[in-house]
Amino acid sequence: MSKPHKASNLSTLTMLYLALGAYGVVTLMPFFWMLITSFKIPADIFRLPPTFYPSKLFSDDPFGNYSEVLGNRNFFGYFLNSLFVSTLAATGQVITCALAGYAFARMELPGKNVIFAAILATAFVPTEVTIIPEFLIMRGLGWIDTYLPLIVPSFLVGSFGTFMLREYFASLPADYGEAARVDGARPFRIFLTIYLPLARPALVSIFVIAFINNWDELLRPLLYLNTPSMHTVPIGLMSFVSEFEADWTLLMAGSVISTLPLVLIYVLCQRYVLQGFAGGGVKG
Amino acid sequence: MKILRLATLAALAGTCGVAAQEQVTLRYMQLSVPALEAERPVIAAFEAANPGVRIEAQAMPSSEYWRSLSARAAAGDLPDVMAMSSAFVQQWARAGNLSALDEYLAEVDTGAFYESALGFGQVDGSTFAFPQNWVAPVLYFNKDAFDAAGVEYPTTAWSWEDFRAAAKALTIDENGDGRPEQWGFWFDGRYTNVEPWIFRNAGLLLTEDRAAIDPTPEAIKAMEFLVSLVMEEKSAPMPKDLEGIRPQDVFGLGMAAMWVDGSWQIDNNRQVIADQFEWGMSEVPLGPDATEETARVYAWADMLSVTKDSAHQDLAWQFVLHMSGPGRQASDFPGGKVPAYIPVAQDRAWLEEGMLPAEKSLLLEMGGKAAYSGFSDDWSAWRGYGASGSGGMNGELDEVLNGRKALDDALAAAVAYGNDILSR
Amino acid sequence: MVSARDLRRYAPAMLFLLPAVAGLLLFRIIPIIWAFALSFAEWRIFDQVKWVGLSNYAHILSSPVSLQVLGNTAYYTAIYVPGVIALSLALAVLLNNGLRSSAFFRGAFFLPYITSTVAITLTWRWIFSTRFGLLNHLLETIGWTDPPAWLADPAWALPAVAIVAIWKDAGFFMLLLLAGLQTIDPTVYEAARIDGARPWRRFHTITLPLLSRSLFFVLILALVRSTQTFEITYALTNGGPNRASTTLSFYIYQNAFVQFDMGYASALAYLLCFVTGLVTLINFYFRRRWVYE
Repeated sequence: MSKPHKASNLSTLTMLYLALGAYGVVTLMPFFWMLITSFKIPADIFRLPPTFYPSKLFSDDPFGNYSEVLGNRNFFGYFLNSLFVSTLAATGQVITCALAGYAFARMELPGKNVIFAAILATAFVPTEVTIIPEFLIMRGLGWIDTYLPLIVPSFLVGSFGTFMLREYFASLPADYGEAARVDGARPFRIFLTIYLPLARPALVSIFVIAFINNWDELLRPLLYLNTPSMHTVPIGLMSFVSEFEADWTLLMAGSVISTLPLVLIYVLCQRYVLQGFAGGGVKG
Repeated sequence: MKILRLATLAALAGTCGVAAQEQVTLRYMQLSVPALEAERPVIAAFEAANPGVRIEAQAMPSSEYWRSLSARAAAGDLPDVMAMSSAFVQQWARAGNLSALDEYLAEVDTGAFYESALGFGQVDGSTFAFPQNWVAPVLYFNKDAFDAAGVEYPTTAWSWEDFRAAAKALTIDENGDGRPEQWGFWFDGRYTNVEPWIFRNAGLLLTEDRAAIDPTPEAIKAMEFLVSLVMEEKSAPMPKDLEGIRPQDVFGLGMAAMWVDGSWQIDNNRQVIADQFEWGMSEVPLGPDATEETARVYAWADMLSVTKDSAHQDLAWQFVLHMSGPGRQASDFPGGKVPAYIPVAQDRAWLEEGMLPAEKSLLLEMGGKAAYSGFSDDWSAWRGYGASGSGGMNGELDEVLNGRKALDDALAAAVAYGNDILSR
Repeated sequence: MVSARDLRRYAPAMLFLLPAVAGLLLFRIIPIIWAFALSFAEWRIFDQVKWVGLSNYAHILSSPVSLQVLGNTAYYTAIYVPGVIALSLALAVLLNNGLRSSAFFRGAFFLPYITSTVAITLTWRWIFSTRFGLLNHLLETIGWTDPPAWLADPAWALPAVAIVAIWKDAGFFMLLLLAGLQTIDPTVYEAARIDGARPWRRFHTITLPLLSRSLFFVLILALVRSTQTFEITYALTNGGPNRASTTLSFYIYQNAFVQFDMGYASALAYLLCFVTGLVTLINFYFRRRWVYE
């Protein structure tokens, strides 16, 4: 990857920062509001004009909404459940996509392009409809009220990740593997010791995207998890917005809590994410 | 030390007791997590009274309950006992998912339960669901606003004209910008807001057999009355102006002095209003085309059903009865949920004296009148409810109230759409 | 017949693909075929299955509501796809400046994508509120006396859904495009600059052609995403007012999980797949006209 040219001219730079700053306000404003609201009392929500004053923050009980959500509403438990499910599902997806992407890019097998096309094409089918047959399959496997239905499908199929890794592996020079093969290394060893480490940015990117998608998943947890203590964060959030029990302040506190791990993961992985996309199918 | 030994003994005894009997697990699904949490002690009491029986209790956020349950039905994986609503019992019973409870009912003193509530669980002459409690829309009013405007509080003798005049007097636009700070009344196209007026005018939306939609002249008159409050009187806002506020908060935030909605909103009112103003409730005024005899009380019930696939039918029924009747206390039903079991409802504790509203006994009187639930197959689709809330009659009525469509056109469209669904 | 030699030759690839193929069969292909069969049935999911041939498909084409929903879907796609591509491209170009601070802005712009959809959409719902929302409050401050009732006006509700979706997804597409931009050799720009090419011309003659592969990828992803919008509609407008913002995937959801009419929902879904597939194929056909390989 090469360094882009630097903007230098002062007026260009001012314009640039103005544009970036303006859109930054647009992206950050809703989060700012979310954060403020999580420190309000319900009566503040519909003041006119809208108030930015987080009244609860300056009361005796500044973190009241958070302690209510984490403690009484069991968000702490939901949080751990979501963490467990999303981590396993995303890890699995990275492994499967890496194996498959590598095979599609670097190994020979008659009909592999058909399989690849099938993995891509089936991503177009909306979940709302395949979910019922899928539910019947999960029941046949005896997986209802376990985390397996939330983990295994994501573990095994990831269209975006497979596509990205196929491109990524294809973009890496073939000679590394050739040299190792001449030295007598087995295919799995070549994959594991030579290509996989090179693909780290792409693997991390896929992990981040898969983690985000699983963290946000609502439909499957609703269908498969019966026991309340096994529920995940999105179910917890939904219980604040159902018809009779909605509460904005608690909802926003829950939303802040549910966003934090995603922000953390992105910040930790961000230098890989861009690189990962760059080496993959999105090369200019 | 002694305590420890005792505990060990007790545990051993407990284990032996269980081992001697057959261990049975009943799966029970309730409509929302808070509802289930409130029932935990009652469930524990049932387990204590029936050694060897374990209740595996489950719950979903109420907005997702039916979606989750229907997937389970498709997979043949329903719990033994599940929460059932008046809106869905017809479809679930006719599809063969629920057990008929008639034999069991023959052994119960049904006179101890509200007759109308029992009626909500009946489909084609058999009972498929048993009521825990029932609810009904009422007229909420802001006493402080009435006092300030010098208007007498609503009574059950109010006519629609009385209501119209009060709504006008209570609409206050202090700064004259055409956007009143306080509206006399507010409502939108939802069933809890509109149907109470229709039924109190002896009108119906559905035909007698509930197989088609055909609003009666009385029903249309009720809707015309409501529309005129927005379009002509301007004593109620267009729904679009309140977009972004939860419907249940408008009254509590003092934006409207009167509101008609379900009695379960008492809880929310208490929470939102706190001690900001005094409020009360009354019955929805009787329509000009109806008498107390021809008018219907709009009401429905939270019920429990035994599923047909349950392997423990008798036990499941005992559990249903325990959860609905003598096993409960008045304090299990705070706010506007009226226990279906009359002795619990008539317990003075249920009136929650000292808390607002002071008129809870009104609900008990309404319980003695003829009730009508107004549900049919595919009700949520044609009426516009839940995730279908933007369509059906709800969507059409909101168009009228937002000034974009005439009532005749909107009704014609809603009736055509609804009958297309019902005929499929 | 597969010989032992072939088997040895292909065994590694087979092992590598085993998990993916197992998942593909079990959780994709089988449910899809199953659902396809259901599109020829009348099935209330808690009731018995009844085979009805093509009647579900016939009903879709004769029902005014379905046609309205199809129209909404096309309208939504027409706003979302160009909107999200234009915005993400603009952001990517702005951020491709080598400044140290751009990592911060990149994170800020990506933030919407990583937030719980339901939660952030509910925040937007408040922003769009007619009388109590931030947006109309701002608009009134700058002198628009009667700003639209965004979510309660049939003309604005669907664009509002698209705005939130574009806002949420732009950061993701921006990263994809930024990654593409960073592989363009800066000496090409230097050469163009020395030749006196103005910024717009540099963008037009260098950036766009060299970025065309990325843009194509983004276009396909955006198209697919536009047909699958569900949670934002659910939490923002519930498909309203009066169905004005109900798109196909939300309508499928209503049929499947409100009316429990699984057969009809499956038929709608296959219509959706068919349309998406067709549009994708058309795009692949025109690919060579503008994508620079």
